Amino acid sequence: MPTPYPKEQMHRFQYTKLTPQQIADKLGPAIKSGPTSASQLSDVFAGKSLSIVTDKGPSLAYKFGSANQLTVAENGGAAASAGYGALTLGSHMVFFSHLIPDTQRGYAVVVDRGTNLATVIELWFSGYEDNREVQREVYYGYVDQAGQQAPTARHVATNRCEGKGFYWKQDAGAETLEFFPSAAYSNFVELSRMGGELSFCAPSDYVKINDDYYIYTRTECEFSGTFTAYVMDLNRLRQAGVRLGFDRNDALEYYVFRGEGEWLGQHAQFEKFGDEAGNPVPAAAPGQTAAKGARRVYRPFKTMAKMSKAEVDAACAKRTSSFVRPAGPVAGMSGNLGPNTTYLAGRTFTLRYDHAPAIEYRVEDAENLNWRKEGDANWTKARYQGWESMPGVIMFGHLLEGMPDHDGHAIVADFDQGLVTCFNGYLNTPYFANEAGVKIHFGVIEMEGLIPPKYNRHKFTEEMLGRAVSQNYAPNLTSMHLYSTPHSLSWIIFTDKDAGGLQWSGPAAYVKIRDGLYFMYWLEEACNGTLGTILVNLHTMRDVGVGYNCGPNGLSMSAVGAHERLAGEFDIKRFYQVPTTGGAV
Amino acid sequence: MSRKEKSAPTRRSFLKGGALLAAPLAVAAPAAILADDATKARLAELENEAAIRDLHQNWMRRVNTGASDEAASLFVNAKAAAFDPSVRGIAPDHDAAPDAVEIGADGTRAAGRYHCAVETENAIPRDSTLAQMAHAQGGGYVRSVERRVLRVEYAKNAGKWAIAKAEFASA
Repeated sequence: MPTPYPKEQMHRFQYTKLTPQQIADKLGPAIKSGPTSASQLSDVFAGKSLSIVTDKGPSLAYKFGSANQLTVAENGGAAASAGYGALTLGSHMVFFSHLIPDTQRGYAVVVDRGTNLATVIELWFSGYEDNREVQREVYYGYVDQAGQQAPTARHVATNRCEGKGFYWKQDAGAETLEFFPSAAYSNFVELSRMGGELSFCAPSDYVKINDDYYIYTRTECEFSGTFTAYVMDLNRLRQAGVRLGFDRNDALEYYVFRGEGEWLGQHAQFEKFGDEAGNPVPAAAPGQTAAKGARRVYRPFKTMAKMSKAEVDAACAKRTSSFVRPAGPVAGMSGNLGPNTTYLAGRTFTLRYDHAPAIEYRVEDAENLNWRKEGDANWTKARYQGWESMPGVIMFGHLLEGMPDHDGHAIVADFDQGLVTCFNGYLNTPYFANEAGVKIHFGVIEMEGLIPPKYNRHKFTEEMLGRAVSQNYAPNLTSMHLYSTPHSLSWIIFTDKDAGGLQWSGPAAYVKIRDGLYFMYWLEEACNGTLGTILVNLHTMRDVGVGYNCGPNGLSMSAVGAHERLAGEFDIKRFYQVPTTGGAV
Repeated sequence: MSRKEKSAPTRRSFLKGGALLAAPLAVAAPAAILADDATKARLAELENEAAIRDLHQNWMRRVNTGASDEAASLFVNAKAAAFDPSVRGIAPDHDAAPDAVEIGADGTRAAGRYHCAVETENAIPRDSTLAQMAHAQGGGYVRSVERRVLRVEYAKNAGKWAIAKAEFASA
């Protein structure tokens, strides 16, 4: 039976490193034919000429012969014939796209016929070490009207889309959830193409046309390199745009589309009131000029250490550390951690997991414990840290020295309820040995004077799904989690001006401990390989947690703690309800 | 013995200098000679103070514009110029005590004491994904401003003042 799920998720798929010649060969037919479209193309420009002038960019002289053929002359050069596709949106907006003959370049253009302003997005392949990754440069300009003075207004990069989230269904059937928690990145969930298990992140542009109409782009960097751009009417929830790139089979995707959407919510922005500036992440360092198409792109897969099992074993043997206090004047992710709890000091108890070995504990003090698997004779000493996040609920973590996969446990134990949940981190995972995996153990606490439940357990929850929560770990180290699907979350880094900046995403899970208290993890797969775990208290708006990471410098377990703010919620739970088909109800 | 004066031309220092200059008019010749010596000494002291003030402001300009190499040239020993690599800016603290400069009795040593607001910048260690991302987007630094006292020792060599030592103390 077909399912919507891919055999390999986007961050695992090995996309072909296409050569420039392969790309040129694949583009050839599309240059002549123009993009395909499930909707009827607009002939709004057919038979007309259009001269677009841009600031610091190309001038484009168009003659539109029909609804899908044009000639274009760049910067006063010779006119070239190409196929194109145009779609209108509302009474004034026209979106069209075409490629340039004998090149790997093309354009996506938005013309506002009401103001005669235009945004021109130049697109090209083979401009980065991964040739298939579409490069882009955004130019602002206007339609030159003979005898009329050029307008001074322009479309403008903006943060006005920040915080918004939408469900889109395109004319060819593609369904996505798209979240804009950053003014430089975006978060998308491929519902129909990949079943919507995980969300992914991409560098993005946001351009304001007016208070209703905006232009959005994303480039699937680190993945297929596919480029998407559309003009959207946020008030009427309609879009018209283009998709350009190569799919998993290296087939060219070049089509224009229409779509209709649903507004899913709005989460908070953290810039100062009145700050509507776009492009919050500068493309170039201060004092330097950005090259054409340049921008800051987070490339975690490219930069992560990729280690073998032997390298992991050697690194762990060389250095394994637990809760080393950061040296230097800057606190890092433990800046708002708060003090260790002494709750566990002197206690002896067993954590009995339903489907994993029980672990016995003798806790010496607030930083040292002894553990052993039930039935073992010998105790192993470990350094730990723990925090009483809610009365009677202790989160603590420790490494399990001597385990073949270098396990680490992040544990939430509710001593009032007798329940425990453990995120069991381990190494030697299938893709890269230093990339953490996780097993989730539910169970009970056995301790003198404590009778645990027989059936009740902590449970997975969707109560956090769609929420956004900011975390301030230390001065100038603030992020926000967006709980984007039941099985993934994304994290957004703020700029110095508190605009959303770079963003990434990873598989995740959410466990409800108590009302307002949630234990969650995320895996930085194809990233740094870290297992992050936090216990979020939505009453005190604090989180505490442990990170588990292995790299060339060894294995470490570290503490994290943040002050949080609720940033809002998207209404997305309904997209994850499996409909019942057939049978009696 | 050393004389302690405000480095800025405050009303108090002006009056004190004015009193010294006014004294010879009312005394006999030996006193006039003495007064002449005192005037010369005072003049030398004022010149030293002015030179040190200029030196200090010159140094501050170079520190605040990040011209560390140029700043080092103001020191007796360039190695002593690297006093705190996290400092990005030093501004006078006008809420605190005024600047003070003491000229040594032999006129070749001096000490300055400047209350200031010091802006420091420290890189967040790249030991977490968030910190790495913060650096990747051009951030990843913590800036803070603290009130401190800048203590500077000066030495005069071949008629020119240079900074011998500079260090911060808590305000």
